[in-house]
Amino acid sequence: MDSGFLRVLLEPGRFFQERMRGEPGLKIPALIALVIGIIGAVSAAISANALTEGLPPDMQVFGLAGGAFAVASGIIGGLITWVAFGIVFYIISMVFMGDGDFKRTLEFTGYGLIPQVFGGIIGAIFSYQIVSNLSVPIISRPEDIAVLVESVTTGMLSDPLTPISGIVGILFLIWSANIWIFGMKYARNLSTRNAVLTVGIPVGLYILVNLVTLIG
Amino acid sequence: MKPLYIAIISIFCIVAALTGPAGAASADVTVVSSTLDPQVLMKGDTGTLTIVIQNTGSETVSIKSARLYGNGVVPLSEPYLAVGDLGAGNSKTFTFTVRADGGEGTFYPQFVLDFRNEGNLRYPVPVQVENTPLSVSVVERPDAFSESRTADITVRVGNPRPNAASGVQVIPLGTGFTVTPTSGFIGTLASDASGTVTFNLTPTAEMDVTFQVVWRNGINTHTTDLVLPVVFGEDKRQADPIITNVEVKSEFGRYRVIGDISNAGLESARSVIIAPGAPATPTDPFRVYVVGTLDPDDISSFEVTFAADRNVTEVPIVVEYRDDDGNRYTSTTMIGLGSGAGVSVASAAPAENSSGEFPIVGAIVAVLVALGVAGAIYYSWRRA
Repeated sequence: MDSGFLRVLLEPGRFFQERMRGEPGLKIPALIALVIGIIGAVSAAISANALTEGLPPDMQVFGLAGGAFAVASGIIGGLITWVAFGIVFYIISMVFMGDGDFKRTLEFTGYGLIPQVFGGIIGAIFSYQIVSNLSVPIISRPEDIAVLVESVTTGMLSDPLTPISGIVGILFLIWSANIWIFGMKYARNLSTRNAVLTVGIPVGLYILVNLVTLIG
Repeated sequence: MKPLYIAIISIFCIVAALTGPAGAASADVTVVSSTLDPQVLMKGDTGTLTIVIQNTGSETVSIKSARLYGNGVVPLSEPYLAVGDLGAGNSKTFTFTVRADGGEGTFYPQFVLDFRNEGNLRYPVPVQVENTPLSVSVVERPDAFSESRTADITVRVGNPRPNAASGVQVIPLGTGFTVTPTSGFIGTLASDASGTVTFNLTPTAEMDVTFQVVWRNGINTHTTDLVLPVVFGEDKRQADPIITNVEVKSEFGRYRVIGDISNAGLESARSVIIAPGAPATPTDPFRVYVVGTLDPDDISSFEVTFAADRNVTEVPIVVEYRDDDGNRYTSTTMIGLGSGAGVSVASAAPAENSSGEFPIVGAIVAVLVALGVAGAIYYSWRRA
């Protein structure tokens, strides 16, 4: 278990304990967030392509523009997710008298995103499968684009693979949360109980919202 | 007067006294009947004229010859040059072959009997010549002909002539069609009678069909033609498949067209098959859709799937069907794939999952992920 990434996944306590000896570095966590963003962009591109299928040839420029926006959002979204979780963890840990700089919190939050790489890849495969099964109505008027989006969304949500994809995403998030617990324990010098609460509260809420959305 | 002269005069008187009754006997020979076969000739026809004479007197009459003279109706056979004696109360028949060389009307060729002793008998025989042919008309035919579609055509032949026509038959002539039967026999048609023949005609191209009526007037063969133009057109009763209620959906690289097809015609459309035409490329699962028989006013839904380039705005949906005779027809409806013209595209409807089945592979992946995550978490806490 000397390999870095594998240690993060299977022995996060020992990994972060050793990382505390050195200076905090954000390059690798940023790279992880970027990879997650790229994978998310692929999923977004697949969904955008499904929407474009429903547009007539003279309106497909809108679909391409929407696709480009979705890809850009996916890439930036990875970085935003990283920073957002880091900020939330830092703030909540302040309640538990956490001690440690933000950079270290951000670094360990980034390492905790590694399971999301696998989750993103599996999610992209599921997205492709869902979109492949989709029947997209073709519209002829620009004002029908909103209806088309709604129709595609409804179609994707009605696919039985969608809740399974959501559950898989939640499982990988739980795995990340487990890593973040160890990360916050060392980054913010928290007790195990406080680290669980620091991570468990926002992640739990996030999972709850996802489950409510999946159940409908 | 010398005795020789007296003897000559006496012999003359005796001869005159003996031959005197013979002149009276020739007046008793009469024509009792004359018949012509056929009864009425047409110009150019050859007929047989039969004349019967009878000696109604009480003495034998010696006949030298019997001849027929005439203009318009001319004798073709030789005269009777040595007839001989005709006993009292006996009759004799003379037959002449005649030909109508003139125009229409009633002609009177002269029948002349030359008696051996004195005088002759002239008898004008009436012969009617009329050129009116048999009439032929089509009494039943389809509203329009179609290529390779069998049509029933009924031909009626009437006889407006004053005499019967024999051996009447109708023969369709021409190319570019098949016909059953190849000819129709009617037989003898009495005056003012008519007969019909029905043909099953299957045209393979536009052309003219000649219905030739062949008939005989006596021994003379005549023909009358009726030309029927066969021009392809739209049958007012034929099946008329109409595509409506079309929805076009895009499915990740292919299109799915769902719609209704109804038969707005008056005849059934059989073996109805629906398929996308070029530039579309049919794809599974619905390369073609078999509707089967579509009766008049029937409606059926259909579904076809195909692939098409992005720049294609319209694709044809080809409906192929057959009539009761197995003849194949096609009709094409253009379907818009976007803002193009044609049948209106679908308004936004909920997208459908093509399989609708539980994704077993996905569930297995989820279970494996759950086990893996649980194992990783358990391991991480054990090693903490």
